[in-house]
Amino acid sequence: MVAAGSGAVAAGRESAVTVRASLPLFRKPSVLPGFGLTLGFTLSYLGFIVLLPLAALILKSSGLGWSGFWAAVTTPRVLAAFQVSFGLSLAAALTNAIFGFLVAWVLVRYDFPGKRLVDALVDLPFALPTAVAGIALSALYAPNGWIGRPLDELFGLKVAFTPLGIAIALTFIGLPFVVRTVQPILQDLPPEEEEAAASLGASRLQAFSGIILPAILPALVTGFALSFARGVGEYGSVIFIAGNMPGLTEILPLLIVIKLEQYDYAGAAAVGTAMLGVSFVMLLILNLLQQWMRSRHAR
Amino acid sequence: MAIQVSGITKRFNDFTALDSVDLEVRSGELLALLGPSGSGKTTLLRIMAGLESPDAGGLLLNGEEALGLKPRDRQVGFVFQHYALFRHMSVFENVAFGLKVRPRGQRPSSAEIRRRVAELLELVQLSPFAGRYPAQLSGGQRQRVALARALAIEPKVLLLDEPFGALDAKVRKELRRWLRKLHDDIHITSVFVTHDQEEALELADRVVVMNQGRIEQIGTPAEVYDHPASAFVYEFLGQVNRLDCTVEGGIAHVGGGALAIATDGGVQGPAVAYVRPHDLGVTPAAGGPARISGIHVVGPDARIDIDLAGLALEAEMDRERLATLGIVAGDRCSVHIDRARVFAR
Amino acid sequence: MPADTVTGTSVPMPPVRSALSEPGWVRILLIGGALLFLALFLLLPLVAVFAEALHRGFDAYWTALTEPDAVAAIELTLIVAAISVPANLLFGVAASWCVAKFDFRGKNLLITLIDLPFSVSPVISGLIYVLLFGLNGLFGTYLRDMGIQIIFAVPGLVLATIFVTFPFVARELIPLMQEQGSDEEEAALVLGASGWQTFWRVTIPNIKWGLLYGVLLCNARAMGEFGAVSVVSGHIRGETNTMPLHVEILYNEYNFVAAFAVASLLAMLALVTLVVKTALEWRFGDELAATRH
Repeated sequence: MVAAGSGAVAAGRESAVTVRASLPLFRKPSVLPGFGLTLGFTLSYLGFIVLLPLAALILKSSGLGWSGFWAAVTTPRVLAAFQVSFGLSLAAALTNAIFGFLVAWVLVRYDFPGKRLVDALVDLPFALPTAVAGIALSALYAPNGWIGRPLDELFGLKVAFTPLGIAIALTFIGLPFVVRTVQPILQDLPPEEEEAAASLGASRLQAFSGIILPAILPALVTGFALSFARGVGEYGSVIFIAGNMPGLTEILPLLIVIKLEQYDYAGAAAVGTAMLGVSFVMLLILNLLQQWMRSRHAR
Repeated sequence: MAIQVSGITKRFNDFTALDSVDLEVRSGELLALLGPSGSGKTTLLRIMAGLESPDAGGLLLNGEEALGLKPRDRQVGFVFQHYALFRHMSVFENVAFGLKVRPRGQRPSSAEIRRRVAELLELVQLSPFAGRYPAQLSGGQRQRVALARALAIEPKVLLLDEPFGALDAKVRKELRRWLRKLHDDIHITSVFVTHDQEEALELADRVVVMNQGRIEQIGTPAEVYDHPASAFVYEFLGQVNRLDCTVEGGIAHVGGGALAIATDGGVQGPAVAYVRPHDLGVTPAAGGPARISGIHVVGPDARIDIDLAGLALEAEMDRERLATLGIVAGDRCSVHIDRARVFAR
Repeated sequence: MPADTVTGTSVPMPPVRSALSEPGWVRILLIGGALLFLALFLLLPLVAVFAEALHRGFDAYWTALTEPDAVAAIELTLIVAAISVPANLLFGVAASWCVAKFDFRGKNLLITLIDLPFSVSPVISGLIYVLLFGLNGLFGTYLRDMGIQIIFAVPGLVLATIFVTFPFVARELIPLMQEQGSDEEEAALVLGASGWQTFWRVTIPNIKWGLLYGVLLCNARAMGEFGAVSVVSGHIRGETNTMPLHVEILYNEYNFVAAFAVASLLAMLALVTLVVKTALEWRFGDELAATRH
């Protein structure tokens, strides 16, 4: 591709332009310089940093052969980790879909003191290093922590070192995804549709479920999917609060780390590949679902 | 400086933007490229500037082959449709840009640059706005900054892409007059692109009417308006009655014989006759073949809808003449055609 | 793929329309619910970091921060960021130039590939480099014979950090430059500017705030990254431990005050990032792609 690019650039400099017509038109000619240079650098950098290493992952796990790969990713411990990672990410993403929507709604529709500060705070999980979030949540929800102690004493509820703790960490990590995808859509919602509904005698609740919710549902699903995908891969904020008991609170990324520490490179690669594969398929399904919803709402 | 375009062809994938176009721009004239969107006029202008390169053909600037030259070596000034002012530079910096980027040897001193920019801002009547940024200017002011910036490099040719396209009607008219006056003062060879026929006819020395990548007609505004060379030019320039007809022996019969038009010969059989509304005469006649179906007075002029045996026609006259005729809607009348052009179908 | 860059903060409230407003008690209930949720899930963890860091007093806090291993971790974090952020800055500018200013085949695929690292788990981001450059990796034997160490050394940390922060600058600049179009660059070229003059005098000033925004987010992630560097680091105290990794070690040794002390520095970095980011969005919202929607 790089070669074709510089070829087109060279042809562009000549005035004998008939040459170019016979070349496959790789790019639309432009008077701006630097195409070959920047595309060449972009592709080399992308290839070296991203594509080559990811290819190594696939290569390593394919070294096991299909049956070896299958055996590596279907051991009870791996299956349990799949269940923990995907199940709890799903729970956290659902929580975020509800509360993230609430936060976006309040930020867009209502005025209250300190609103801008609250709005800025929503991005905290993006900015706060995951390890910091991990130890902070762990300290809060530990049996002697600020929240963990009252929960334990009043309700006998243990959070840290249980699946509930993992769900809480994943909720923390995923919240901004929902807020930041729903917020702009809610902001741009034309008020006329709601006013029309009100003038036709619909109650607020009817206007909400009939007008607002269908309009923002695609964005909500996107936010949900982003939150979910982030949860499946999350490592730093989870491992401190999880307790990391195999089969119960052991997440997939941790399992990969453990396999690496045991020098089981092929096993680690197999789990990693499977994880990428499953995430990819789920995101694909959600994408299709979203497209379907969008086309329905557009009609 | 004269520009010679010969056999320029340009395709974008399957779309032919320019189909073997030949054109000569005379030194010192103000030329309009007029046509609907997609007619290739902007592409032709960009090829002259070196912003696009053609698939085939040749381009001479002042007799010298120019296709191999980069835009910076062509000595053309280009005014972009949306002005493309540098948004982070003040008016002064925008106008000075072309001088400041010159190689060290050819760059004027900063005092000289200041003097030249001040002169140009004076010319475009923007001296008090030198320190403003593009976002702080009105559309018309931005347009003039763009012009001053293009003139700063002392181009041999000035190319303007829809120079008044983004302005409202009143400013557009003022700027049009102003640009014509400016051209009369500095006499730089100029080509501008427009889809607005009124603009082209009022402003240009010569008009090039383009359609689907080809040139339909080249001529002075009076020539193209009064003697359109093709059916397209007739329909594109001004209001026109389009009448299906059959030509036999030099006479075009319209509406099954309701109207007969003498033609200048050449066409036989099925054809289309074009008649300008002001070339359509109306005479009140009690038993006339036509009927006045409506009269609309628009400012000083009157538009008269006529029904001629089921054929809808439009005539135009001033209000004085309307009063003299004393016609009202519903009256019967006869029509006669002062001038028409017939093209084979 | 983080929506870090999809914010809508600087947009003013639409005027309240009476037909579109809920009863007062509903509003208060919803606002209260949202604030309680945010306080519990976002604010409290942040407060906890500083409270835990300082609960043995300021002296203990200061001691924990000035202890040699902590200082080494801080230095290493700065070094890693100082290499990976400029690398991704360069890449981001080059990628957005060719994507935004030119039309070519496979452009959409390229944009998708640039976003790819955001959808890869941090642990896998580290794992892939171990598989390439680790002792048992694809090039392991070769590198050992050459005497080059990448994994469990600084180069590995840098590579993993570059991977996880790969898209930040590019994904801010691409939409921004696409929206700005090429008109100003063309104008500069016609006025006689060279390619470099056009780039430095026209393009860069137009994208400078977007560039800063992308670099800010890139830097925050580079300094705070945990999962990816954890896999390639080897956890050698004072040598290959970045600040987040140092936090982990201290925490696992039950040295909570020291762990939270180092964590508080990272939390401050996060707060500074948020403040600057918010300030950029308020002041230069119309010059950032991130605030458009």
